[in-house]
Amino acid sequence: MEEYPEELRTPPVSLVALFGYSELHTSITKHLHSQQPPVNALAFPDLSHISLLLAHDDQINRTSSVRDPLSVSDSSSPIPSRCGGILKRDWLLKHRTKVPAIVAAFFPSHHIFGDPTQWLQVCSDLDNLKSAIRPKNIKLVVIVVQSSPQEEISEDRLVALRKRAELDSKYVLFFNSSIESELTLSLSRIASAFAELALAYYREEGKRIKSRVEKRSSNSLDLNVRYCFKVAVYAEFRRDWGEALKFYEDAYHSLHEMIGTSTRLPAIQRLVEIKTIAEQLHFKISTLLLHGGKFIEAVTWFRQHKASYEKVVGSTEFIFLHWEWMSRQFLVFAELLETSSATVQSFSSLNQGTAEISLTEFEFYPAYYYQLAAHYLKDKKSALELLLSMSETAREIDSSSESITPSVYIGQFAQLLEKGEAFTLHSITDEEYTRYTISEAKRFQDSFEIIAWLKRSYESFTNLKAQRMAALCAFEVAREYYGLADPNNAKLFFDIAANLYRQEGWVTLLWEVLGYLRECSRNLGALKDFVELSLEMVALPVTSHEDSGNLENKSYGPGGPATILGRESIHREVFTLVCRKAELISSTEESGFKIAHDSPLNLEIDLVSPLRPVLLASVAFHEQMIKPHALCSITLSLLSHLPLPVEIDYLEVQFNQSTCNFVIRNSQRPLWASASNTVQSGSQVENEPSLVLVPNNWLRLTYAIKSEQSGKLECLSVLAKFGPLFTICSRAESPAAMEDLPVWKHENRVESLSTKDPVLAVFGQKATQVEEPEPQVDVSLGTSGPALVGENFTMPVTVTSKGHAVYSGELKINLVDVGGGGLFSPREAEPFSLESHHVEICGIDDGAEGTDESESETGNIKKIQQSFGLVSVPDLKEGESWSCKLEIKWHRPKPVMLFVSLGYLPHCSEANAQKVHIHKSLQIEGKMPLLVSNRFMLPYRRDHLLLNRIKPAPDSEDMSSLPLNEKSLLVVSAKNCTEIALKLVSMCVEFDDEQGEASCLIQQVGGCGDTPGSANLAPGEEFKKVFTVIPTMKTPKLGLGSVHLKWRRQGGNTTEACVSTKHKLPEVNVEASPLVMSLNCPPYAILGEPFTYAVNICNQTQLLQEAKFALADAQSFVLSGSHSNTVSVLPKSEHVLSYKLVPLTCGQQQLPKITLTSVRYSAEFQPSVVASSVFVFPSAPQADKANCATKQ
Amino acid sequence: MIVCVAVVGHQNNPLYIQSFTDADDALKLHHIVHCSLDVIEERVNNPKKSGTTLNEAFLGLLYPTVYYKVYGYLTNTKVKFILVTTDLDVRDTDVRTFFRKFHAAYVDAVSNPFHVPGKKITSRTFAQTVSNIVGSYGLN
Repeated sequence: MEEYPEELRTPPVSLVALFGYSELHTSITKHLHSQQPPVNALAFPDLSHISLLLAHDDQINRTSSVRDPLSVSDSSSPIPSRCGGILKRDWLLKHRTKVPAIVAAFFPSHHIFGDPTQWLQVCSDLDNLKSAIRPKNIKLVVIVVQSSPQEEISEDRLVALRKRAELDSKYVLFFNSSIESELTLSLSRIASAFAELALAYYREEGKRIKSRVEKRSSNSLDLNVRYCFKVAVYAEFRRDWGEALKFYEDAYHSLHEMIGTSTRLPAIQRLVEIKTIAEQLHFKISTLLLHGGKFIEAVTWFRQHKASYEKVVGSTEFIFLHWEWMSRQFLVFAELLETSSATVQSFSSLNQGTAEISLTEFEFYPAYYYQLAAHYLKDKKSALELLLSMSETAREIDSSSESITPSVYIGQFAQLLEKGEAFTLHSITDEEYTRYTISEAKRFQDSFEIIAWLKRSYESFTNLKAQRMAALCAFEVAREYYGLADPNNAKLFFDIAANLYRQEGWVTLLWEVLGYLRECSRNLGALKDFVELSLEMVALPVTSHEDSGNLENKSYGPGGPATILGRESIHREVFTLVCRKAELISSTEESGFKIAHDSPLNLEIDLVSPLRPVLLASVAFHEQMIKPHALCSITLSLLSHLPLPVEIDYLEVQFNQSTCNFVIRNSQRPLWASASNTVQSGSQVENEPSLVLVPNNWLRLTYAIKSEQSGKLECLSVLAKFGPLFTICSRAESPAAMEDLPVWKHENRVESLSTKDPVLAVFGQKATQVEEPEPQVDVSLGTSGPALVGENFTMPVTVTSKGHAVYSGELKINLVDVGGGGLFSPREAEPFSLESHHVEICGIDDGAEGTDESESETGNIKKIQQSFGLVSVPDLKEGESWSCKLEIKWHRPKPVMLFVSLGYLPHCSEANAQKVHIHKSLQIEGKMPLLVSNRFMLPYRRDHLLLNRIKPAPDSEDMSSLPLNEKSLLVVSAKNCTEIALKLVSMCVEFDDEQGEASCLIQQVGGCGDTPGSANLAPGEEFKKVFTVIPTMKTPKLGLGSVHLKWRRQGGNTTEACVSTKHKLPEVNVEASPLVMSLNCPPYAILGEPFTYAVNICNQTQLLQEAKFALADAQSFVLSGSHSNTVSVLPKSEHVLSYKLVPLTCGQQQLPKITLTSVRYSAEFQPSVVASSVFVFPSAPQADKANCATKQ
Repeated sequence: MIVCVAVVGHQNNPLYIQSFTDADDALKLHHIVHCSLDVIEERVNNPKKSGTTLNEAFLGLLYPTVYYKVYGYLTNTKVKFILVTTDLDVRDTDVRTFFRKFHAAYVDAVSNPFHVPGKKITSRTFAQTVSNIVGSYGLN
């Protein structure tokens, strides 16, 4: 785009010439520039310069006016049709910089309104001016410069001035620069007048030319093109883009018609002129379209442009001119598109609304055009090279002999001849012209341009994420670099392309790129790269047999066509290079490489390497677990996709345990002295009669190996040696996890399994686990039933040697909660609160009988935490045993898993020997030994009105209430809920604090502690003990302390300490009862004999209590006394209701039921059923009175 | 004239590529087919922008190169068919017909029980059918 002249690239701007008053010019020019649209101004100090400006123009005008534009331009030329041209080179420039649309003449006001002589001068100046500008239709503006606004103006003079200047009043302006406000006003007045007049000028000029176009005054297409162009330019001056576009297009179409009809110039130059103009017109049209945001139209236009000219080749001999032209079209359009798309960001509106021509996405990307520009330039380059190589004369051309320059017409060239002082331009023949163009073309290095454009395209495509297009560009760039013998840069770009082709498995493309890369590395002298690339090529899945075309065909790269033959020849080449005998090394310079005698070549193949098909090593252990020192089979399978069989000198299999490394030797090959440095001397060596890798066939080798060391045994890599200096080290892969080769996986071929055993081929692993040696020590956990909460549960652990001695043994003990939850594993952060552990290890009694404390202090480890313990085991000889006791305490009933593991060394001598581990585990249930429960009993046949019982407080639902200062009974029972017999040693109630003792009195019933309450409890048996409780303080919550139990397992040794368990008694509510109802009746009754049944209502308050009572009849008794009544009981006194009853039935009988209602408390209460019953004997029992008394 | 047809798998790997020119431009055609995958990718990823409806397998003109026009077709299994032609004036219906026939031939080829899905198509019958379809292209 830069090669176009400035005036073509930018939209034209109206031009104004200012005369006189040069001190005002800067401010006016500045103001005009800032206008929208801007106006350019030419400034001249006084009117005499008008001739200067228009003189030059006149001259041109004159020459052009003398002749018909097409007939004569050079009088020396005899044939009129061979002269002239379509567009003058400087026409556009002239109108932009020389021919003004308006001439503005500045006159001071005193010249006009003052002295008549000065006025006359003004008049003559105006006349001169008018005569100068009239032929060109240039507009005139007269500006009267006032020195102050108050200046006197003579109306007559002003009219005379207008008349003289033949101007409308609005084009005679006053300019006043004395005051700021006046200045801006004057400036804007001038600007608007200028804009208006410029518009008028360009419109008139346009109209004038347009009329010529419309009249078709001449049939000449040349003129038509020229006129259309001019109309379009004038329209552009007016910013009438639509008309400009229309006329540019008209010009373009007329021009296209000229191809084949025009005969003015020699054939080649004729076409060159047309194409040059077409190019400029196209540029204008594209610019207008793109700046108007009409992307679709612009692209469509470009496509048409390309289509209409791509066949207009001209002379096939000089086709390079055409390619160059085409290339320029694409380049310019790419640049235009790039600059416009920078402003218009989104293509989202680019729907393919134009149904007839569907545009594709890429046609909106500058990258596409850059790429094609490069493509055409490449065509040009090759055409030029062909031309130069074919003709002797073309080669000899050099630019110095000629003096050909562009002529006055666009797209034409002429010879500059010196005639004495003057230079004249002569038209030239086609032969001269082609000589000139060839010499010009030779000066340019097209490759750099091609590379630059392609790189731009590459970057752009990369940004667009069109990676394949980008790869193609990279490939083309690389090819150019390759052509320029720049292997470093070429390699860089070839690699980009190769990576993508590798990834997507485009084998033929990859082959091509690799062929280039291989040559690059050969040129760079990089042997390793060369070998790697050659091997990669050789191992590509190229299966085409046909050798289409000869190898010299230019469409193939240095790698030749992708055929099996090609693979084979490269294979031979590379293997002769790397595997030659030592004595032949000196004679290998024809390959381009020098290898020193002692520089071996090692290739590493990992899992992502493109060389994986060269040597694929799959290793499978036959067993997943092997015993130490035992032989284990391992199958080594090698696969190569090389086209020809290769013979391996030896193979080396490497493991993570280097002692296991072994070597497989090809017995047909001589022993290489320095075989390897990774295999220790004395390691396993296998011999094979032959080690030949046949293409696409697994070479399966099975050997037995032995590992001494327990742990993981993994095969790391397989190293194959070919010849003395060349090794390939391939990473070992498990058959189970083997991935397909990326380039081979889409091939349709027979796939065989890597091992004969199909199971191994599917599940085989390259690693195996070597077991630890069998432990010959026994660890036993002596179990003694379930554990009981609270006791120190002892768990004997015995370590018995049965063949192994035990050295530096360590016993690890772990308690793990079975149910999950409360217990902590040792790995977690341990909060050191004892409460959080429901089960803990209290201690380990390590069998040293506790007497030998010095030993345990000196060296042996003994760590105990709540759920984890570590204890060291003393060294044991064969047959010896050692035991310890674990003490575990349960705080809650919980099942727990006990893990005990012993690690030891069977030999004391070996420093790096591995420990042998034995694991044992046992689940232990922790159980509650005794279930303690309690019950309160109130005094017999004494019922207290306890208000809390009637209206319970919301928070004391299950709380029992006791009357104040009354003796209540507390029955505590302990039930053995285990499956073993327990001995209860003692049970007592103790207060937790002083306050409890003060507020309550608890006594054991039946003597104070001389029978300690010891009892044997069989499973399920219950032990009860009765206490009296006398609360002495009124409190809603009275702590009664807790029951202390001491117990131990029955039958165990009596020396064992008792376990004491606490059971907290519930709190009780103590209150004073206002009314107490006690029933008095004999302990038994005799049928038919009357007895007295008295109900005492005792008022314990200081108030008068009214009590309603109601007595229900009972069937078994005849009753005398009042059934219901209300009685008043005086404070601190008693009221007795007395009844006489005669029993009618024998047996346990319910007494008549009395219901007492306290009016004050609205509370009703009844004696309990048990309390209000009596046994009726048929006759008086024959028992002594003392017995009866105790029964009661 | 059709110069090249190709079947490209869903990992953008070539499954079948056949050129029908006498000249040695197979490599160039491979490049063109490979590059056209970019257009397909873009068209499939941005269906709105390109304005094509994705309900249709026929993708239309992918892009014009200097000498060729490239058309695309995307099957439901994301296998792409690509057609490279030298004709400047191509009727859409011709191309559609071609792709329909080609698709049928492809379905026949991959329905072969001995064909492993995802592998290259090496069936000679398929090659023969394809060359027949290519031969009959544009005749009606």
